[in-house]
Amino acid sequence: MRLRLWGVAFVLPALLFFAFFKYGPMGWAFWLSFTSYDMLSPPRFVGIDNFASLAADPVFVQSLQNTLGYIVASTLLITLAALLLALAVSTPVPGARACMSAIFLTNVMPIIAVCLVWRFLLHPHGLVNQLLAPFGAGRIDWLTSDTTAMPAIVMVTVWRFAPYFMVVFVAALAAIPAEYYEAAAIDGARGLRRFRSITLPLILPQLFFVVVVAALLSARLFLMPYIVTGGGPGGATRVLSMLIYETGFSYLKMGRAAAISVVLFAIVLALTLAQMKLFMRDEEA
Amino acid sequence: MKRRLPGLRWLGLPPLAGLTLLVLLPVLWMLSTSFQASEKMFQLAMDWIPRSWHPENYPNALHRAPFPLFFFNSIVVSLVVMAGNVVFCTLAGYGLAKFRFPGDRFALLAILSTLMLPLEVTLVPTFLIVHSLGWLNTYQGIFAPLLVDAFGIFLMRQFVLGVPTDYLEAARIDGAGEVRILWRIVLPQCKPALAVLALFAYRDSWDQFLWPLAVVSRDEYRTYPLGLVRFAEDYGNPQTEQMAVAVMATVPVFVLFLLLQRLLKRGFGLTGLKG
Repeated sequence: MRLRLWGVAFVLPALLFFAFFKYGPMGWAFWLSFTSYDMLSPPRFVGIDNFASLAADPVFVQSLQNTLGYIVASTLLITLAALLLALAVSTPVPGARACMSAIFLTNVMPIIAVCLVWRFLLHPHGLVNQLLAPFGAGRIDWLTSDTTAMPAIVMVTVWRFAPYFMVVFVAALAAIPAEYYEAAAIDGARGLRRFRSITLPLILPQLFFVVVVAALLSARLFLMPYIVTGGGPGGATRVLSMLIYETGFSYLKMGRAAAISVVLFAIVLALTLAQMKLFMRDEEA
Repeated sequence: MKRRLPGLRWLGLPPLAGLTLLVLLPVLWMLSTSFQASEKMFQLAMDWIPRSWHPENYPNALHRAPFPLFFFNSIVVSLVVMAGNVVFCTLAGYGLAKFRFPGDRFALLAILSTLMLPLEVTLVPTFLIVHSLGWLNTYQGIFAPLLVDAFGIFLMRQFVLGVPTDYLEAARIDGAGEVRILWRIVLPQCKPALAVLALFAYRDSWDQFLWPLAVVSRDEYRTYPLGLVRFAEDYGNPQTEQMAVAVMATVPVFVLFLLLQRLLKRGFGLTGLKG
């Protein structure tokens, strides 16, 4: 009995914190999403007006599509890049560990620094175009063209976050007993086949972790489009978190901003549930 | 088992080194640019090693905007966030790993579910709460919603699960109190996890942008990312000096990373640990 109380006492501060700063605000956001509120007069109940007007608003629809596309592209590419980097630095090449530490540096750089650096690199006269020039690429307006702005943001995101997940995969790869590979070699399995039947099944829990965390991360991302492209050109990179900020803090439409938050939450929830279902064979955390 | 020639392993080095260099180019570009002469941006052939060094970009940038204050604010906030996470995530992680109480599974689920409620989602109501507490333009307004993170709790729980329960019970039989057991037996074994927790809490707080942007409107409490964005928006400020500030912003996290490196090596595997 006494031990139970200690358990509760240890966990309680965190639970109270989350009740106050996570669940409370989310509940409040649900309520606010059915109101019109400008912080000057009290919230006025308007039913589903906010959602109805959002559905008819091309800016919202575009931001929603951008967000979904961004989440899917970043999650897939972060996972793929992280896995490839992990495989590369897990080879028995001398200096592979040093390469891993060096690559991890991209994760030590503050996101704001990453954004400013890439904004210069992706400039029409910047380093990216200079490097691509020998391959016959002309002047690409990465950040000011509809077709390349979002891919550019995804690229910056992958560059910043893949090395973190690389470390997760490296640890997973290192935990695979060498005998498995030796047995596979005797059976004549190598290359892709070896990867598919031994490596992949054994790192599945980490793969699940990376996909879920990368998706949660990209769903909330604000700074990269905000700084690198400012949401442009013409809203091509505006994501929901930016729209929440603009609606709530530039236009003081708190009810409408809360409604967008509810939509963003629904996306995150649906993604998480879908991934849990997809990876069902992996037991719960 | 056939063993390959040991010399063959070296063949992998050039491609791997090339890959590493390619990944690191933006970091090197930032460093190099921060020492260049300001008129030499966007030249066709970049001198990776500056023809003439301009370390004065650093003090110049610090003088052009109140960056010392902005960095100080960021350090204060990030240290408090780090301390909060280390204390509360450890307590909760330990409680969830080693104690059974009614609703313990529900508590774990409720905590992990908050990963789906990042500040970006709860921005409006959290702002209204902080506003009604009168905490706009204060340190506590910036750090309060960041003090505990579910990821840290999960990390600590996974690590503490690996501490043998027998140790705890032996200590209880010897009459040690629960706080003493946590402090003397559990914590010393959790150093790698604590290092990861501290580093990530500091870095995440150091990176915060949207939240401070929402609650801070006065220079006295601006954190460096807000200051840096403003600095970058002013056309008069040379890009070399922006990069100097970017380098200065990278250094604290880098130093923290180096200091904790020995522990991190053992702790990193945990960040993606299975149950």
